[in-house]
Amino acid sequence: MLQDLSRLRNIGISAHIDSGKTTLTERILFYTQRIHKIREVKGKDEQGATMDYMELEKERGITITSAATYCEWNKHHINIIDTPGHVDFTIEVERSLRVLDGAILVLCGVAGVQSQSLTVDRQMRRYKVPRLAFVNKLDRSGANPFRVSEQLRDKLGHNAVMMQIPIGLEAQHAGVIDLIRMQAYAFDGDNGENVRAYEMPAELRHDAEAAREKMLDAVSMFSDDLTEAILEGVVTEELIYDAVRRGTLSLDLTPVFMGSAYKNKGVQPLLDAVTRYLPSPLDITNSAVDLSNNEAPITLSADPQKPLVALAFKLEDGRYGQLTYLRVYQGTLAKGSSIANSRTKRRHKVGRLVRMHADQMEEIQDSGAGDIVAMFGIDCASGDTFTDESIQVSMTSMHVPEPVISLAIKPVDSKSEINMSKALARFTREDPTFRAGADPESGETVISGMGELHLDIYIERMKREYGAEVRSGAPQVAYRETISQRAEYNYTHKKQSGGAGQYGRVAGYVEPLSDGEDFEFVNEIRGGAIPSEFIPSVEKGVRTAIEKGKLIGFPVIGVRFVLNDGQAHSVDSSDIAFQIAGRQAFRQACAHARPIVLEPVMKLAVESPTEFHGAVLKSVMQRRGNVIGTTEEAGFCRVEAEVPLAEMFGYATDLRSSTQGKAEFTMEFARYLPAPSEVQKTLVEKYAGRVKGEEE
Amino acid sequence: MYKQFLTARSPLRLLEKGLHGGLGRGNLGLVVAGRGVGKTPVLVGFALDELLREGRVLHISFDQSVAHVRDYYNTVFSDLAHSVHLEDAARIHADIDRQRGIRAYPGMPFSTGKLREAVKLEGETCAQPTLLVIEGIQMNGDLREELADLKALAQELSAEVWLSAANSGEHVGGIPSDVAPVKDFLSVILALEPASDCVRLRALKDHENPDVTSLHVALDPRTLLLTRN
Repeated sequence: MLQDLSRLRNIGISAHIDSGKTTLTERILFYTQRIHKIREVKGKDEQGATMDYMELEKERGITITSAATYCEWNKHHINIIDTPGHVDFTIEVERSLRVLDGAILVLCGVAGVQSQSLTVDRQMRRYKVPRLAFVNKLDRSGANPFRVSEQLRDKLGHNAVMMQIPIGLEAQHAGVIDLIRMQAYAFDGDNGENVRAYEMPAELRHDAEAAREKMLDAVSMFSDDLTEAILEGVVTEELIYDAVRRGTLSLDLTPVFMGSAYKNKGVQPLLDAVTRYLPSPLDITNSAVDLSNNEAPITLSADPQKPLVALAFKLEDGRYGQLTYLRVYQGTLAKGSSIANSRTKRRHKVGRLVRMHADQMEEIQDSGAGDIVAMFGIDCASGDTFTDESIQVSMTSMHVPEPVISLAIKPVDSKSEINMSKALARFTREDPTFRAGADPESGETVISGMGELHLDIYIERMKREYGAEVRSGAPQVAYRETISQRAEYNYTHKKQSGGAGQYGRVAGYVEPLSDGEDFEFVNEIRGGAIPSEFIPSVEKGVRTAIEKGKLIGFPVIGVRFVLNDGQAHSVDSSDIAFQIAGRQAFRQACAHARPIVLEPVMKLAVESPTEFHGAVLKSVMQRRGNVIGTTEEAGFCRVEAEVPLAEMFGYATDLRSSTQGKAEFTMEFARYLPAPSEVQKTLVEKYAGRVKGEEE
Repeated sequence: MYKQFLTARSPLRLLEKGLHGGLGRGNLGLVVAGRGVGKTPVLVGFALDELLREGRVLHISFDQSVAHVRDYYNTVFSDLAHSVHLEDAARIHADIDRQRGIRAYPGMPFSTGKLREAVKLEGETCAQPTLLVIEGIQMNGDLREELADLKALAQELSAEVWLSAANSGEHVGGIPSDVAPVKDFLSVILALEPASDCVRLRALKDHENPDVTSLHVALDPRTLLLTRN
């Protein structure tokens, strides 16, 4: 167990795809002597980088799952979570950020702040993760760390402060100048492992002094001592380090470092900065909810002596069974100890406890507060909280977006059918944004997720990892229905001929709810027109009805159902009679409340060289897209738009062909909007045809 | 309130009256004020009025991001819709989003050539704008050529063009000193003057009219809406 928590760092490395974060992680592991040979992304040496360990990731050259690893630097223990770069996998990023104390935001020195950087940064802000920026790829043609630093300010709103300036750019990139020590650094040796400090080149002195003055000006905002020292001309390195750390921890400052991970430059100073400026678990306040006290918030303390609280943030099915990644927030997790799952209330005995290094592992005996470890053989879901049973707490739930796209899948043979079930059981446990279920009407298996690529990846993983071959249908958009005006209802359910009778009358009105609210049931019955025991029956009936709207059979959202009158019969009224009355009344009311179809609209960001601006705009307009705006900068333009998901299938291919493969896009769910009348008409007719067919 | 009533009763009708018919198609207008006084909400107010009257707006910023500009539109529209209980506000908001384009050129110098490209693309993919809003330009004598070209563009498009500029504080003949060298290209110059509870719009130049009358229009700094004063 780690004794000195102030020397522990739990960090993530987040960035836009292809910014070089896996390469950077690989270099970090090499310089910290966790690995002894550098491997590159995309399996140039047929092995792939250490952190990209899934077969599919190696093939595509992208990081899909967050692999955890750790290393030692300057007597500090650093846990690193490598995070995926594509927006379709952002749940992985969000999960990682939830358990991290700090992060490195990797930016491409040429492309700068790209669309995914915006998404990742927003997520980091949500979880209040202090970050350092690393401007990578300074060896590439067109690299400009000054521009990227400005973009951090303009586009992401960071108080970005350059802590270094480059020595040469593009092919001439030779190292960095540290603006605190005012010294130049070169990275010698075959793999840049020998850091050599030398006097800065005279021609860069003027630039370095100007940049240092700017840095001191920004940093002194966080320390009165430093301000005084500047005025008196007695600035020390320690004073600057302290001020930068304060600014970083308060999220009011983002120190900017730079280099080229691929060319082995600038990585060691970045590691120094991680230990120097990013927080230890002692610097962070984590809270949970007390399940024994009406979910009152409680503050956790990174004290190994206190009762255990740990969060399972990632699951993997490996060679040796389910591997559960945990962050210990309080107390100690020891091998052989007994722990309880706060959600299921089940008790478990901790078998093997390991520290992960990508897909390799080291056995450990115990793990203290603040640490990130993994354990074997515990059946749980991602997001579960474990305690030592002396307290009943749960970590606050993570924000999990609703899936927006579905796909019917069918196994090709019986062997695939069995394997598919196994694969789906695992994937749905690992990834809360991926859902699987059976369509009650067709009986087909339907998988749902956050985008086309998200589902594609799981279909491929089924095939590769489980040998389950499936045929997939056309993607289905998760439409919704709503009402657009108030309407009254007065419905009597009466069945009083023969046998036990049924009677229930309900009256009131439905009205649209404001944006973002799903459903509200309001009981305004006065004077016992409906006996109180039947009110929940009415609500149950209504809730059944909202699951499937009359227009196109999709769930109804954004409705307030107000019950203000009714009638009961002393003998014939029953729970089921009022359930039916509620269900029918809702359908009757909705039919008069101008029901409409809502379609999911995605936020799309396309980046391309300016010459393809027109092609990109046309690609958006052709898909019923609404262009929000365009930003043009340094030969690139970024088009931001909102586009209905239904129009986005196959967009990647079309965009590639219309821009010679030079544009890239990211997409995430934005909101539900009313579908245009012609789209609604088509959907309604299609649904009516299907219902008619089923009836016949 | 219905959209038609809203535009008919807009304080901008009063402004048009004060300016002897308003800025007019094919003309350039300028709003000058100190930093943070409210140039952007005033321009967004002008743009929303045009959008509510079925016009098309292209908003160009040389110093703000797309998200920042869009936030202004969303905030001002929401406040406006709320203050007058606008009927069918969600649909009107969606329509407005479709009729408006935003372009950001952070850190780039002002160039009418760039604007021409943007307008051409806008025309090819949607429709020609009827109002151009241009923010983030530093006014000075060097811009004479660009502004002459911009005026020509406004006339080609038969569009109104509103620009904004930070006020240097010094005045030459009632006009801010950095605006004075280019005042010939500007048909209307409006100054924003902070008062105790509002920001008043005052005309410094009104076409060729020598009698610059009081406009009786102000910006409410709490709601960022234009009001009758």
